[in-house]
Amino acid sequence: MTGFRKAITHVPLKEWLIIEMVVLVVLSSLWLLESRAAGYSAFIGGLIFVIPNAYFAHRTYRFEGARQMQLAVSNMFRAASIKIALTAIFFAAVFTLMESVHGPALLFTFAVMVAIGTALRWLIRPRPQR
Amino acid sequence: MEMVYIAAALIIGLGALGAGIGFGLLGGKLLDSTARQPEMANQLQTKAFIMAGLLDAVPMIGVGIAMYLIFVVAG
Repeated sequence: MTGFRKAITHVPLKEWLIIEMVVLVVLSSLWLLESRAAGYSAFIGGLIFVIPNAYFAHRTYRFEGARQMQLAVSNMFRAASIKIALTAIFFAAVFTLMESVHGPALLFTFAVMVAIGTALRWLIRPRPQR
Repeated sequence: MEMVYIAAALIIGLGALGAGIGFGLLGGKLLDSTARQPEMANQLQTKAFIMAGLLDAVPMIGVGIAMYLIFVVAG
C-alpha cells in the first residue's frame, strides 16, 4: 500500500507545529500569572489539541492524486475518527489522573488552540510541488 | 446527577452526528469533483482538508466539555 505513496503536496506540518507550540507557550505563560496549576493545565489543554491534530494532518496526506482519492477520503474519515477518540481519551486521562486541574484554563486554552489551528490551516496552506 | 450524563451523551452524540453528516457530504463532494476534474485533485484535497479542520472544531470542543461534565462535575 505504501508503494502508491506520492509526495505531490508539501504539507507545512513543521510550520504549523512550531506556530502552535509558540502560541501555546505564550498562552500557558499568561495563565501562569494566575497560578502554577492554571499554567500547567493550559499547557496540557493545548497539547490535547496539538497531538491529535498533527496525527490528522499527517494521516490525511498519506495518499494524493485523482487515482487514489478514494483511499485519501477513507483515510481522512479514519483520521478524523481517531482524532476525536484521542481527544476524548486525553481529556479523560487528564481529568482522572491529574491531581489538581484548573478546568477553565484547560478548556479555554483548548478552545483557543482549536480556533488558532483552524485559522493556521487556512492561512498557511499545503502547497503543491511543481 | 443522571442529567449530567444525559447532557454529556447528548453533546457527544449530536456532535458526532453533525460531524458524520458533514464528513459524508465533504467526502462525497470531493470524490465527485475529483471524478469531474482529475487535474484539480490536489487543490481539491487541500480545500477538503481545511474544511475538515473547520468541521472537526465544534465536536472537539464538545468532547472536551462533555469529558469535563463526566469526570469533574459528575465525578
